[in-house]
Amino acid sequence: MNQSTQLLTIERALETVTGPDTLAEMQQTLDAAWAAEEVPEYTRMCMDLAVSEIGSNIIEHSGNGQPVRLRMVVTVGPETVSVVLNDDGQPVSVDLASAAIPEELSERGRGLAIVHRVVDKVCYFRDRDGNHWTLMRRRSE
Amino acid sequence: MVNFTTRMIASNVTVIQPKGRLNMAAASMLRKQLQDIVEGGSSRIVVDLSATDFIDSSGLGALISGLKIARQEGGDLRIAATPKQVGTVLELTNLNRVLPTYESVDTAFDD
Repeated sequence: MNQSTQLLTIERALETVTGPDTLAEMQQTLDAAWAAEEVPEYTRMCMDLAVSEIGSNIIEHSGNGQPVRLRMVVTVGPETVSVVLNDDGQPVSVDLASAAIPEELSERGRGLAIVHRVVDKVCYFRDRDGNHWTLMRRRSE
Repeated sequence: MVNFTTRMIASNVTVIQPKGRLNMAAASMLRKQLQDIVEGGSSRIVVDLSATDFIDSSGLGALISGLKIARQEGGDLRIAATPKQVGTVLELTNLNRVLPTYESVDTAFDD
């Protein structure tokens, strides 16, 4: 294998309309990326978890109970793993700065706190096309 | 969706075994089932996690919900046979303090 092959970037994408199977489809997309490139187990676990949290958020809040169009791209690069999630739903209220762990017996509010703990970078922005999330983590453990 | 398997073990303890991925869809089912178990008069519950491949904040929410209603009725909810991924998520959220892991389903209520 020559140098350029070793540094090849792997990309796996999903285009769907959100529904009961969306979280499973998102996980299948991640699994396809992990099958194509060797990524450490802990890094895979962190990305699987972060995507489940943001995916749940999109399904629950972006569509306000209605389906939204969702595009997901998983990129495994030489140094980093990233997932971009775009949906055409309504604006979601996100306060990335205050993603603290809630009190012990709280039943909700841990999603973003978990995301912050398992990825190196989380970005959210909103424009006229919808909501855009980027999750990134270094590839090594 | 089919319910998770439940069984009674000694000393009036109900065991429930969530299988697969405990994410948003499965969590709402678990939450409802835990509520039904407590309303049915059994407030000592062991959640057998040996067949749970994955948990996220939705799954944690269902466990906390079950813990609260079980305690309200004078019982408790305990988790057993926790796999690595679930253990990591409990530690990340500090919930391992509220939900310590018991090694075995059968001895989780032995104290």
